[in-house]
Order: sequence, then C-alpha cells, then structure tokens
Amino acid sequence: MNRLRIRPRPRPRRRFRPRLHVRALAAAPFVLALGVHLLLLALWYDRLPDPLATHFAAGNGGRADGFTPLAGFAALGSGLLVALGAGWTLFARRAVLWGAWATAGFAGGLLGLVLRDNLDATDPADVTVPLATFTVVAGIAALAALAGRALTGLVPPEPAVSAASDGPDGGSRVPRLELGAGEVAGWSRATGSRGMTALSAVFVLAGAVAPVLAVLVEPWPYALIALVGLAVGVPGLALSRVRVAVDRRGLTVTPAVLHRPRIRIPLDDIVSATVREVDGFAEFGGWGYRTRPHRSALLFRSGEALSVRRANGFEFLVTVPDGETAAALLNTLAARAKEVQRESRSDRETERETERETEREKEAGPGASSAPGVPGERI
Amino acid sequence: MLFRVDPASSVPLGDQIAACVRGALADGTAAPGERLPPARELAESLGVNVHTVLRGYQRLREEGLIELRRGRGAVIVPGAQAPDRAQLVERLHALVAEARRLGLTDEEFLDLARAGLG
Repeated sequence: MNRLRIRPRPRPRRRFRPRLHVRALAAAPFVLALGVHLLLLALWYDRLPDPLATHFAAGNGGRADGFTPLAGFAALGSGLLVALGAGWTLFARRAVLWGAWATAGFAGGLLGLVLRDNLDATDPADVTVPLATFTVVAGIAALAALAGRALTGLVPPEPAVSAASDGPDGGSRVPRLELGAGEVAGWSRATGSRGMTALSAVFVLAGAVAPVLAVLVEPWPYALIALVGLAVGVPGLALSRVRVAVDRRGLTVTPAVLHRPRIRIPLDDIVSATVREVDGFAEFGGWGYRTRPHRSALLFRSGEALSVRRANGFEFLVTVPDGETAAALLNTLAARAKEVQRESRSDRETERETERETEREKEAGPGASSAPGVPGERI
Repeated sequence: MLFRVDPASSVPLGDQIAACVRGALADGTAAPGERLPPARELAESLGVNVHTVLRGYQRLREEGLIELRRGRGAVIVPGAQAPDRAQLVERLHALVAEARRLGLTDEEFLDLARAGLG
C-alpha cells in the first residue's frame, strides 16, 4: 500500500479564500436579470394592467387564469431572482457556472416575457401566453448557459488535491485497530446538535403555519414563507441528528428520524481515515452540511472531527465523539478490503497466466483480458 | 460504540454483543443515557440476525444496564451509577466463568452466592 508518509511539521492554517472570481461570475447573471426585470417594469409602468395576468391555462390558447397585483409581481420577481442568485453564488463551482447563467436566463426571460404579453392589455383576463413563449424562454436560457460556459474559461481551474494538504495523511498519524482474523466489527454513534434541531424546528413550524395564513389571510408572502420554511426546515431537521456508523460496508451517516438523505462512502473508496480539528466557521463558513472544493462536511460543532480521505482525493468530515475509534476501525477494514481485492486480483492473474499458457500450447492468440472493475463513486 | 464479534467463538453472538456494550459502559467509552444503535441497523452492520442482537439487548436489560422502550429503542440507563453497575456485572460474569471452569454446578454456585450474601 502506498500511503504517503510525511514528516510531522507545524501545520500552516490554511486560509480559505472565498474564490471571488467564481462567485462574482455566478452572481452576475442574476444581477443582470434583476436589472432587466426592474428596468422593464419602470419602462412599461404606464402600459401594464394592474393586476397582471400571471398564470395561464395550458390548453385554451394560454389564456390567463391567475392574477397578481403589479407591485406584488415586482417584489416576487425580484425576490425570486435574489434568492436564486444567493443560492447559486453560495454554491458556485467552476464546473457548473453555466447552470447559474441558465437559471438566471430562464427566470429572467420568463418574468420579462410575462410582462411583454401583458403590455397594453385593457383586461388582464384577455392576456394570452402562447406555448411558443416557452421556446423563447428556453432559448434565452440556452444562450445564457453558453455565455456562462464561455466565461468559465476566465476562472482558473481549482487547484489539484495534494496529499500534503491538511487532513488525512497530512503528517498526522493513521490510527489502526487490531482485529482478529475472523472477527467482525462495527462502530456506531449518534450525534447531533440541539441548536440546529431547534432552528430547523422553527423553520418547519413556520412552514406548517404559513399555508394556513396563506389560505385565511392572503396568499403571497405566506405561501413563500411556507415554501422556504419547509425547504430549509425539513432537510435541516433531518440532518440535525444523525447516526454515524463504520462497518464492513464503509462509513455511513444516517439521519436519525427520516433515514434519508443518507451519506455512504464504501470501503474501497477510502484511502485513509483520521481525526483532526476542524473550525467550522473558518473552513466551511458555518455548520451543518457544507461543501467546499474537494471537501464536504457534516458539522455540528467546531473541534474534533472524523476525517476520511477518499480515492479521488476528496475529504469528508463529520464531527462525532470517539472519532478516533471510528477512524482506526475504518483504516483496518479498508486495509482488509484492499487485501481481499488484491488476493482476488492475483487469483485472477494466475488464472489468466495459466490460460495464456494453455493457449500458447494450442498456439492460439491471447485471450481477452478483463480489467478489474473500477469502484464507482457513491455518496 | 465499538461492537466486535467473532462468529467462530464458542460464546453466543448475542452475549458477545452484550459484552461489547457492558465493556464500553464499564470503561467509559459509552455514557449513561446514550442511545444504542437500533437492533435492525446493528444486525445489518455486523451481518448477524436481528434476533441475535435483540437477545443481546434483552440480556443487558435483565442486567439493568439498558432500557428498552417501544419506539425509542435501546438507551443506556441514565444516572451516574450505570458504569459501576456494568463493572459489577462484568465481575459477575468472570466469576461465573471461573466457577464453570472449576466444575461447579449452577446450583452450587447459587448456594455459594447465597452464602456470600449472608
């Protein structure tokens, strides 16, 4: 096994630059779309009916069957663009920059075309949005995607992962756990955060109460609150209390209540595991499920975390008590899995060798050799 | 909590699982009030039958080390006494093993225990 051993050295605190370049380029299309949205509203203010036709029947030639006050439409459109923009900016990656542009193009195009179809309408009920509009919107989105794709070239590629970076085999010791030949071992531990649970519960509560207000009082702000509340609260609640398990199948993180979404890293995808200190705010900008280039983490607090280095060089972190035992068992089980793989591979090689020999005897061409399967990435 | 079992051992798997929990509680790696993994999950994890795990949990419950509640799963009994109790039970198991090794029948062992209690 070729594990990189590096002399213990004072670990420099890695500074996480927020990669303004990608972020700025991800935010730009939304700023642009928001500008266009507001500009169109200002330019066409005198020519637009109030309320606007905002919902159209699929059949019936796309006739309007839903209406929103002009001010509401302006606020909602802006809010939508800001929310989408914030999301894309937060999770901006070089490889998916085009997605941000496509999203902005789609949302901005849709808002603009709805306004255009409302132009000079005396009765909003007469407004029609033909299905062709959607092809136009799709076209705008596609063009925006191409623009985003072209802009990707401006961003320098993310630095390759080096084994010398902090994390497993970054100079820290790789713990092992002695295990008998026939012994089966598993490690399991529940962990979570009361703060996260409480916060998510507030969101879920808001998401549950808001629809009632949406029906009783007025639809708009409350329907949005319901949507945001449930969209943030439910996954938040699911991930605020989890069970971390290490066994013959690898590392598994399962939400305690819903059992979904589950994170699993199989043994053959694990290079090494260790325990390291993690500063949630400095490294990941907060707590909860977090992603950064080449690393992802489920953080309930700052401090000791189980750190797993994967075959593709990526790191996965989870803050869990007694991580040392988990890391040790994970290393032992991963080594065992590799041994089994190597054995079966050498078996296969000897098989192939004898095959070849018999073939040589028969003076036939070499048989087709099958490459050992590449372990698929699963998480 | 670390579970390690050896299917080749003469000790029943359920007892091995119970010993893991007892040991963890006795040496402080598991704390009072901690929730044990659901039996089904642990069974899948170790590749053993659910009933084997449940037998182990049942045993721990009889020893007063865990509480089994419907819907809440298995929880180590809360309270500062739990680790000491786990140590006591561990010593008792060692004693039983020693008695068996010496060829004492269960009845003889119980008589001895009763005499010890006075």
